[in-house]
Amino acid sequence: MKIGIPRSLLFFYYYPFWEELFKELGIKVVVSDQNNERIMNKGVKYSISEICVPMKVYVGQVLDLVEQGVDLVYVPRIVSIQKDVTICPKFLGLPDMIKYSLEGMENRVLTHKIEQESDDISNWKDYQIFLEIFDISKKELKRALKKASEKWQEYRAMHRKGFTSDQLLEDVKRTPDTGDLTIGVLGYVYNVYDKFVNMDLLGKLREMNVNIVTFEMIDDEVIQREVDQFAPRKKMFWEFSNKLLGAGYHFLKSDEIDGVIHVTAFGCGPDSILGPFLDIDSDKYDTPFMTLRIDEQTGESHLLTRVEAFVDLLRLQKTKEARKCEK
Amino acid sequence: MNDLYIGVDIGSVSINIVGLDDSKDMQFKLYKRNPGSPVEVVKEGLASLNKKLKDRFKIAGVGVTGSGRQLIGYILGADIVKNEITAHATATIEQVPDVRTIFEIGGQDSKLIVINNEIVTDFAMNTVCAAGTGSFLDHQAERLGVEIEEFGDLALQATKDVRIAGRCTVFAESDMISKQQYGFTKPEIINGLCEALVRNYFNNLVRGKELHPRFVFQGGVAANAGIKAAIEKEINDEVIIPDNHDVMGAIGIALLAQEEMREKDEPSSFKGFSITHDNFETSSFICEDCANECEVIRIQANGKTIAMTGDRCGKWASDPRDIDVKDETSA
Ligand code: SF4
Ligand code: SF4
Repeated sequence: MKIGIPRSLLFFYYYPFWEELFKELGIKVVVSDQNNERIMNKGVKYSISEICVPMKVYVGQVLDLVEQGVDLVYVPRIVSIQKDVTICPKFLGLPDMIKYSLEGMENRVLTHKIEQESDDISNWKDYQIFLEIFDISKKELKRALKKASEKWQEYRAMHRKGFTSDQLLEDVKRTPDTGDLTIGVLGYVYNVYDKFVNMDLLGKLREMNVNIVTFEMIDDEVIQREVDQFAPRKKMFWEFSNKLLGAGYHFLKSDEIDGVIHVTAFGCGPDSILGPFLDIDSDKYDTPFMTLRIDEQTGESHLLTRVEAFVDLLRLQKTKEARKCEK
Repeated sequence: MNDLYIGVDIGSVSINIVGLDDSKDMQFKLYKRNPGSPVEVVKEGLASLNKKLKDRFKIAGVGVTGSGRQLIGYILGADIVKNEITAHATATIEQVPDVRTIFEIGGQDSKLIVINNEIVTDFAMNTVCAAGTGSFLDHQAERLGVEIEEFGDLALQATKDVRIAGRCTVFAESDMISKQQYGFTKPEIINGLCEALVRNYFNNLVRGKELHPRFVFQGGVAANAGIKAAIEKEINDEVIIPDNHDVMGAIGIALLAQEEMREKDEPSSFKGFSITHDNFETSSFICEDCANECEVIRIQANGKTIAMTGDRCGKWASDPRDIDVKDETSA
């Protein structure tokens, strides 16, 4: 049996987990191609037009896997990875959207609910359908999940050492940070690492000699502290938006970060609330903040102009501050 | 012979070229609206610059900015190629050192640049929505049968306010027609349109940001007195329109070229005026090497490929070469 995993959405957060899990169960995994024009066009064509861009990409990626001849596409229903906090509702309906809006998909989706209390999604209770589908014992399942969890923890540990997910998942060169500027690139993993939709933002920044910090590198406690401070009595957002909120405030306050770029997808509901909070507060912390809105037809020259101008601004500010200190 | 710094701004609705001398005085200025082929306009522009100044000046540095900066920068052998935000801000700060806010409205795009202590601290750009740019006015002027040059002064003759719903050019048009039918005068309608444009600009770009004086208003639309008045009404303060407000990008990039050359201590990499006699041709082809199917643009000089762009992977841009392609389309 061949299982397909779309290279989209939480792929960039959980792939090492899923890869190890299926490997341990002896199941062959196929990952869809890197997002490209053809996949994107297909996604746009077969999704409802109002939905956010990442969901359209996901649809395209699923169709790509079907073309590659996989037996099942793995589309877990990720409900929550934190006690009492769900993730963006679009994820909750994702398996249904794939099953019933794409022709011939009804029986080609492997789905089950993931409703856990931590980011480590290895609690076996959510995976019971695997017992029957893959004809395995409970013991085998638990062992595979444990292995998957270990792999994923290693992956997360590498983040904390300062590696971005594209460096870990693809063969992006892992050079030490030598840039004279550090930018916090704030965004959901599927926006930050979809090179096609964001016109290779990370590559462009690296070319401009900029070091990149993302939310995955920040300790959970730091993120949680910022989130609690922001709204002590209330849970403001869905889970990944909370992570961005916490990391975002940490970036704004940190002396090591010269500026923040918020990468947000056209049509994203949560970001339309999250973005302005950070933008308005960025003045308070004297940290330049720029919103980069991406969609299926972002113009490259426009994006490059904005990124370049932002980097210019940060460099000029930095040299000026340095001059002030010399005096 | 004195030094001359050339600044070229390749925008989507105009191409501007200026020449600044060592003391930053303008020796040459060209503002060309609705240019056909950028390469031809630049060639002609440089030829006339050369004719006018060749006895007194030698080229000490060349800078290119604007949305078409990469290719032209390559053709000219520019010393510096920079984005238009940095270029515009540089020019404004030179003229109005204590500027804090720049409103820039051009024919097809608009910008807001926030400055503190002569450094850009924030900016916003709009290239998607026509309702906050000059093309909104062009369009409506045509509908009303008014020359765009008269537009602004007519607006000032309005005696009553009329609000035109101007969120989008399409709505503005239908609203304008009904207001005309109600009997509002032309100046009143025009004034309403100016205010609608400014409202759009503030909704799209300012979005509640706190702005500080001094305020500068520049770009092609700054010549329009009606818009200037509408902005002043919106911010309740005075705006300055700088000299040469229509070529600020070109001035800025010339200043940046001058700075660059001072630091570099090398001769300019400008390819010389002989390029004005070269024959450039632009064509494109679809690369089929991967699923992205990029439209690759290539520039040939006298039949030889000198630059390529438009490829997502960079494999053509980094190594421009002559190739045979079947489905070629001349642009
Ligand atoms: S958080 Fe935003 S981008 Fe992500 S799925 Fe939800 S709406 Fe789409
Ligand atoms: S130019 Fe590069 S990215 Fe574009 S289609 Fe060709 S190989 Fe693919």
